[in-house]
Amino acid sequence: MINPFPIVLADMRRSLVGVIAVICLIAVAVALGVAVSAQERALRQGSTRAAAPFDLLIGAAGSPTQLVLSTIYLQPASINLINGQILRKLTETEGVKYAAPIGFGDSYRGYPLVGTTAEFVTQGGTVQPVEGHVFKSMWEVVAGANVKLKIDDKFSPSHGMILAEEEHDADHKGIEYTVVGRMPRLGSPWDRALIGTVEAVWVTHSLPTGHQLLPDGSPDPDRIGPPWLAGETPGVPAIVVKPASVRDAYVLRSAYRAKETMALFPAEVLIKMYNLLGDARDLLAVISVATQALVIGAILLAVFASLALRRRQFAVLRALGASRTYVFATIWLHVSIMITIGAAIGLGLGWFSALVLSRVFESETEIALPVTITLQEIGLAGALIVIGFVLAAIPGLMSYRQSVSAALQR
Amino acid sequence: MARTDSGRLEVRDLQLSFRLPGGDRLTALEIETLTIDPGTTVAIMGPSGAGKTSLLYALTGIVRPDGGTVCWGEVEITSLKESERDRWRRRNVGFIFQDFNLIAGLSALQNVLVPIRFEKTRPSIAQQERAGELLTRVGAPQKRDTVDLMSRGEMQRVAVARALIMSPGIIIADEPIASLDAENASAVIDLLIGISRENGSTLISVTHDPVFIGRMDVTYNLLGGRLSEPPNKKVS
Repeated sequence: MINPFPIVLADMRRSLVGVIAVICLIAVAVALGVAVSAQERALRQGSTRAAAPFDLLIGAAGSPTQLVLSTIYLQPASINLINGQILRKLTETEGVKYAAPIGFGDSYRGYPLVGTTAEFVTQGGTVQPVEGHVFKSMWEVVAGANVKLKIDDKFSPSHGMILAEEEHDADHKGIEYTVVGRMPRLGSPWDRALIGTVEAVWVTHSLPTGHQLLPDGSPDPDRIGPPWLAGETPGVPAIVVKPASVRDAYVLRSAYRAKETMALFPAEVLIKMYNLLGDARDLLAVISVATQALVIGAILLAVFASLALRRRQFAVLRALGASRTYVFATIWLHVSIMITIGAAIGLGLGWFSALVLSRVFESETEIALPVTITLQEIGLAGALIVIGFVLAAIPGLMSYRQSVSAALQR
Repeated sequence: MARTDSGRLEVRDLQLSFRLPGGDRLTALEIETLTIDPGTTVAIMGPSGAGKTSLLYALTGIVRPDGGTVCWGEVEITSLKESERDRWRRRNVGFIFQDFNLIAGLSALQNVLVPIRFEKTRPSIAQQERAGELLTRVGAPQKRDTVDLMSRGEMQRVAVARALIMSPGIIIADEPIASLDAENASAVIDLLIGISRENGSTLISVTHDPVFIGRMDVTYNLLGGRLSEPPNKKVS
């Protein structure tokens, strides 16, 4: 068994700067491809996970994308309200586990304040607060995992989305909420939301509560959640419906696809987004492959140039009795080692870049992006290595045609 | 030290020519007959362009002649395939160049062991010891540094040790002392003659050095690709 490693290592040691430069080039090219692939998957999985509690969304006829962005990702926008009668009717419809209104519009220190029901917050009892309890009366709220408020903190909300520490010009005077619980991390924008009762949101905006008033004509703070009174239930921007079965889901979806209302599975909208995302990924993938091809081409050129300088050394090896295979192996190994190390570093670098990007994205949007390296990314790096192995044979095979005596006598 | 017996050299009707850029062929070697007994030390001299180096390459199978045969003992190397010639050369020939041609970036010991790597993953303990002994024998320092930092005299000593690692029956040297100072040249001559005598190997060296030539058994003069007849033989 021949052993060209000592020669290869000596060659590499002699041109260490060049070798490191080549390895870095390959690493960056591979990292680009890996990061794009891992990041795109993370975005898809992250946004899907954030949408998980929203089985079926029903809203006033309008833009489905806007409905999804506003309810799941809490992107502020003014959307048409859906008639309160529909909410009331839905809570009594067969095949509906629960139907929860999502009311928004107010905020506190940049945290959106969302009004809904305890059923939705606990997702039908499957999710419990990690601290405290779910709101039991109108002016109680639970805080998302990333809200910097403590239990028993009290606050007055501002109208609209006013960012932190701004003057409370638009404060709803005389209204005070109390934090009573903290929800576990969901990996969605709801982690930085304050979630309270829909009745409180209605009252804040001078609407009825949908319940019997107290004898003095003021709203009853202990009456929250369904059932709401017919004719007394205000409109809401969106309703989340938890269907009892898949069949119910489709029945409800078609029932509320009408002139006045729209019903959609968030996935319908997300798939369009994924297609866009996929197109972007494909474009970046093409760029990354082109980069890799360029890098490999540049490396082959560099190898050809360095071969001219090393021709004499290879001829000496032949004169000392090395076979052509030995010289081939020396050249091939040299190129292949650089490509393998570069690709391996690139895999790690790509993963790390995707991780950093995800953290930045998370801190902006609160959508948790689970970055994973799967066979797909390993395959990307592996494909480059395999192509490199094949292409490395070209300069190796060229050495077969070299005249030993000509190279020695030069 | 064990030595490979590479046998008697017999050359018949050796023809070697090069193609010139215009398409004509230039005769480089034309040797009707040449016989060298095992263990003989042979000097080859001649003006530049006479084909001295080409002769060394033809005798060791680095170039394949256009016609004629080169036999070492029972082996007709002119009829061997290239890979077989590589193997034969590896086991039977130690090559020494004018400008050493050590592998930069390797230590002296690693350089001596390079031919072992042509067929083995790692040298045996015995081979490593032998490499060390050879370095001691040629008087080369056994530093761990790479050979790039050595003096020319030291480099050629390492190259001699490398030529001997496979215990070849044939030592081929192409102007081995032409780029050395007098002191180192004298030491390398002593080594080449001494080791050839000790091991009974055949030494064929291109040289113009009168001292070196004076210590050889036989001297051939090469002129225009033809050998002078008869050779100058020393009376021993």
